[in-house]
Amino acid sequence: MKKSITSGLQLLAFCVAASTSAATSSLADGHLTLEGKKIGVAVVGTQHFWDREAFNGALDTVKKLGGEPVPVDGGRDNQVHADNHDILLNNKVDAVISILGDGAVEPKFEALKTAGIPVFTVDHLSPHGINNTTSDNYYMGTTIGRYMADAIGGKGRVAIFNAFEGALRICGIRSGLWKYVLQDYPQIEIIQPELAEAFANAPEDARKKTLDLLNQHPKGSLDAIHVGCWDQPAIGVVQALEEAGRTEVKVTALDGGPETLEIMAEENSPFVANVAQQPRKIGATAAMNAARFFAGETLLPQTFVEVKPVNGPEEAKAVYKELGYGELK
Amino acid sequence: MTSRTAREPRRFGVPSLSAMAGYLPLVIFVCLLGYLSVVSSNFLTFPTFDLILRQAVPTTIVCLGLSIVVMAGGDDVVSGGIDLSIPAVAVLAAAIIADQLTNHAASLAVALPLALMAALLVGAVNAMLVVRIGMTPLLATLSTSVAVVGIVKVVTSSRRINVDHPAVVWLRDGTIGGVSSGVVLTLVFFGVFFFIAHRTRWGLNLQAVGGSRDAAEVSGIPVSRFVALSFIIAGFAGGLAAMFILARGSGSTPGTEENLLLEMVLATFLGSAFSPRRVVTLWGAILGAVLVSALSIGFKSIGVNVFWTGCIKGALILIVVASASLSAKFDRRKTAI
Repeated sequence: MKKSITSGLQLLAFCVAASTSAATSSLADGHLTLEGKKIGVAVVGTQHFWDREAFNGALDTVKKLGGEPVPVDGGRDNQVHADNHDILLNNKVDAVISILGDGAVEPKFEALKTAGIPVFTVDHLSPHGINNTTSDNYYMGTTIGRYMADAIGGKGRVAIFNAFEGALRICGIRSGLWKYVLQDYPQIEIIQPELAEAFANAPEDARKKTLDLLNQHPKGSLDAIHVGCWDQPAIGVVQALEEAGRTEVKVTALDGGPETLEIMAEENSPFVANVAQQPRKIGATAAMNAARFFAGETLLPQTFVEVKPVNGPEEAKAVYKELGYGELK
Repeated sequence: MTSRTAREPRRFGVPSLSAMAGYLPLVIFVCLLGYLSVVSSNFLTFPTFDLILRQAVPTTIVCLGLSIVVMAGGDDVVSGGIDLSIPAVAVLAAAIIADQLTNHAASLAVALPLALMAALLVGAVNAMLVVRIGMTPLLATLSTSVAVVGIVKVVTSSRRINVDHPAVVWLRDGTIGGVSSGVVLTLVFFGVFFFIAHRTRWGLNLQAVGGSRDAAEVSGIPVSRFVALSFIIAGFAGGLAAMFILARGSGSTPGTEENLLLEMVLATFLGSAFSPRRVVTLWGAILGAVLVSALSIGFKSIGVNVFWTGCIKGALILIVVASASLSAKFDRRKTAI
C-alpha cells in the first residue's frame, strides 16, 4: 500500500513537473512577439549555405513573430556588411540582428547602441551586443582536434587554413582549442607558416593553395589538412587532393552543411571529420532572443545551439538525415 | 568616348542626338534617385545625405586620381588614359599602414610616408610601362593591379588587421564644424586637385595633352612627361585614399579593392555626363561618386538584393560607356555632313 502511494505520488510529481515544464516552454515562446517592430537583419553574405540558412532562419522567425524584417546582405564583403549597419541605423529599426562580420562592424554596433537600438549578434561576440547566438565553439574546437588526431594515428604533419583566427573570436576559439588538443599529441607537427584562405571564392582559392602545398610537401610528408573555422575551403582542398592523386591526406573542417556532408559520405573520401552546426536554428534563436529582450526577459551574454559531431562517412549520412537535408545512400 | 580639343559652340533649341546620348546616363540616374525618393520615406533626409557623403569618401579620392589620368591621356577607354590599379594601390597603402601601426607598433609618422612611397612607386611603374615601354594603359594598369593585390596578400598574409589609431578613429568618427572629418578633408583634396588641374599652367597643359596629343606636341608641350606624371599623381591619390579606407573599415581587410574598382570606374565615367563637352572632369568625378553612393544606399534601403545592385551597377557602366560611344558617333556623323 505504502509502495503504491509512493508510486502514485511519484507519478503525480512527474505529471506536475511535466505539465509545468510544458507550460513554461509554451509560456517562454507563446508570449513572444515582435508585433510592430522593425528588425534589421544584416548578413555578411548569402552565397554560402551557413550564412543563407542563418539569415533565412532569422528573417522567417521575425516574420512569424509579427515583426517587419529589414534585410541587408553584404555580398560576402565584410566592409559592405559593416556599412550596411549604417543604413539600418538610418532606417530607424527597433533592433538589429547581425550575422558574422569582422572588426569593421564594432564601431557600427557602438553607434547603434548609442542610438538606443539593441544589437543581437550571431557568431560575433561583441561588447556592444545584448546577446550572441552561436554554436558551442569550445566543443567544436576540441572535438575536431581529437577526431583529426585519431584519423592520423596520433602522429604526423598537418597543415591548417587559419585566416580568421585573429579577426573573428569564434575562429580564435575553434582553432585555438584545436591547437590546445594537439599539445597532447607531441608527435603531431603543425606546418608553418599556416595557410590563409580567402573569405570570398573560398573553394577555388583553397584548391590552388592546396595544390601548391602538395608540391611543397611530397607524399609521406603531409598527413592532414585542417580548415580551422569553416568548411567551404575544404571543398577545394578535397578537389586538389583528388586532382593530385593524394587522397591519403586526411581532411577535417567545421560547419557540416549538406554539400560537405555529401563529400564526406562518398566512398574513400579523404574528408574524414567535421562538426555540423544548425545555422537555421541559430538565426531563429537570435530572432527569438530579440523578442525575449522586448518582453523584458534577461538574456545571458551568449546562447549556445547544439552541434552534431561527424566522424566518418556513416555519421555523415546519419547527420545529413537528422538535420533534414535528405537521405544519402 | 572621344577627345575634343575645342569647346563646342553653345546651341539652343532642339538638343542634338549626340547631346541626348551623352546625357542619357544622367537621366537614368536622376530617374532612379527619384524612384528611390518616392519608395523610401527617409531617402531625402539629412542623415541619409550625410551617410551618402561619408560612404562616398574613398571612392571620391580614387576618382580624383583617375580623372587626372583620363585628362592627360584622353578619354578613350582603350587607347586613352585609364588607371585600374588605383584601388589596389589604395588597399596596398592601407595594408602597409595597418601592418606598421598594429603589427610593428610604428608611429603614423613612419607608416604614412612608407605607404605613400609605395603608392608613388606603383604610379611610377605604371608611368614607365605606358610611357617608356608603350603599353596601353588599360593592360599596363590591369597587370600592376593584379601584382599589387598579390603584394597586399604578402604584406597582410591575407588576414585582416585591426587599426584603432586615434587618427584613424578621428577620420571615422570625428567632425569639423559639424561635418564628417573625412568629407571635409576630401573637399580639401578636391580643392587642391581642382586648383592644380584648372587654375595652373601645368593643369591647362595637362588638359591640352589629353585633348589632342599631336597638337600638344606641336605646341612644344612635353607630352610623355605629363602622361607619366598623371600616373604618379594617381598613385598618390591611391595612397591618400588609404587612410580613409582604414577609417571606414576600422582596419585593413583583404578584397576591399574589388568594390572600389567598380565604383571608381562607374563614378568617373558617369561624371562625364555632367560636363557640357561630356568629358571626364574633377567636378564630374566627385558628383559621380556621390551619385553612385546614393544609389547603393538607396537600393539597400528599399531591400534590393545585393546581387541585383551589382548587376544594376554593371549595367550602368555599360550604359555610360555605350552612350558616350553613341554620342561620339553622332558627333562624327554630324561633322562628316
